Amino acid sequence: MKNIILRNRYTLLLTTLTAYMAVLVAEGAITGREARIVDFENPFFDLSVNNFEQFRESRNDAGDDRRAERQGDRRIDEDDDG
Amino acid sequence: MDKFALLQFYALAKREVLEHRNLFVGAPAMVALLILVASIWVALQLEQAELAAALEYLAILFDGLSPFDMAPFFMLLAIPFFATLYVCSVIYLINTLYQDRKEMSVLFWQSMPVSNLQTVLSKVFTIVVVAPIFYVLIIFALYLIAMIWLTLLGISNDINLVGIGWMFLAALTSLLFIYISAFVTSLWLLPSMGWLLLFSAFAKKTPLLWAAGVFILVGFLEDFVFGTQYLANWVESRAANPNQYFIFDFQSVFEKLFNYDMLFGLLVGSILLAGAVYMRRFID
Repeated sequence: MKNIILRNRYTLLLTTLTAYMAVLVAEGAITGREARIVDFENPFFDLSVNNFEQFRESRNDAGDDRRAERQGDRRIDEDDDG
Repeated sequence: MDKFALLQFYALAKREVLEHRNLFVGAPAMVALLILVASIWVALQLEQAELAAALEYLAILFDGLSPFDMAPFFMLLAIPFFATLYVCSVIYLINTLYQDRKEMSVLFWQSMPVSNLQTVLSKVFTIVVVAPIFYVLIIFALYLIAMIWLTLLGISNDINLVGIGWMFLAALTSLLFIYISAFVTSLWLLPSMGWLLLFSAFAKKTPLLWAAGVFILVGFLEDFVFGTQYLANWVESRAANPNQYFIFDFQSVFEKLFNYDMLFGLLVGSILLAGAVYMRRFID
């Protein structure tokens, strides 16, 4: 085993990184470590990097609303021209 | 540890300082010089009466207050030195073992009665214990010059100098906190040190790119293979909060040194340092 690990620099690097990742993942799974993600608070929108999907959906909804508003404005302009 | 081993370790640490004195002495001295020049320039822009009023305000502010309570004020002034120390530490750690192989001095050092473990530990010791000493000494010199200048200014403007004395005591106390903060932070960041040393010993070229590239790759692999983000979470928990790098009172030293996160970090850092020690076997 020792000969395989110390065969060359690449096997040693792979072994070290595997041990590193194994310890980190095992500890994370046992303790249930969660990211203390920073909530980007500001008066314009809510962003939590932890919940990016929800943020994207809310942005899409807001975009749809804006598009609907713009279409409504255009119709009013066309009626005025007509 | 016997006397010979201590002498070996002392020689190794001395070698690190002599070979990298630009990072440990030159860089903080340059920062101190810049701060001094900037201070003199600001003082020259002010009227003598304004300067005297500011000094009187400071003297009243510090007069009679405990130096331990006022020391954090001076720690904020040391932030440029902390930033310089961390940047220089990264440059040192990523280059030190790589440079040994590049200039073939590794062959000389391996012919000496020092093990790879001692060599790698001497580099960690240099960053954790030795480098902060030089930074603190240079900050002390800066404070001393500033205090002499303020004292002369106080004498020439008939200002009560007792408050300036208290201010100097607070500045001296802050040096202790600055050293302890640098020491504890270095231990807190031991996994990062281990990572940099591992790739310094591994890479045939551009060790910094290897270290950064593999770190990103491992993060992606963890996400793909396990579907988890423990690596990113762990790094975020160690780096996101700047408060964890500063110590403002003695009570928090024990808490910061002996807690689960610190001890787990030392374990993870030891794995990477062990990898760096074994990696020293492979010489191009």
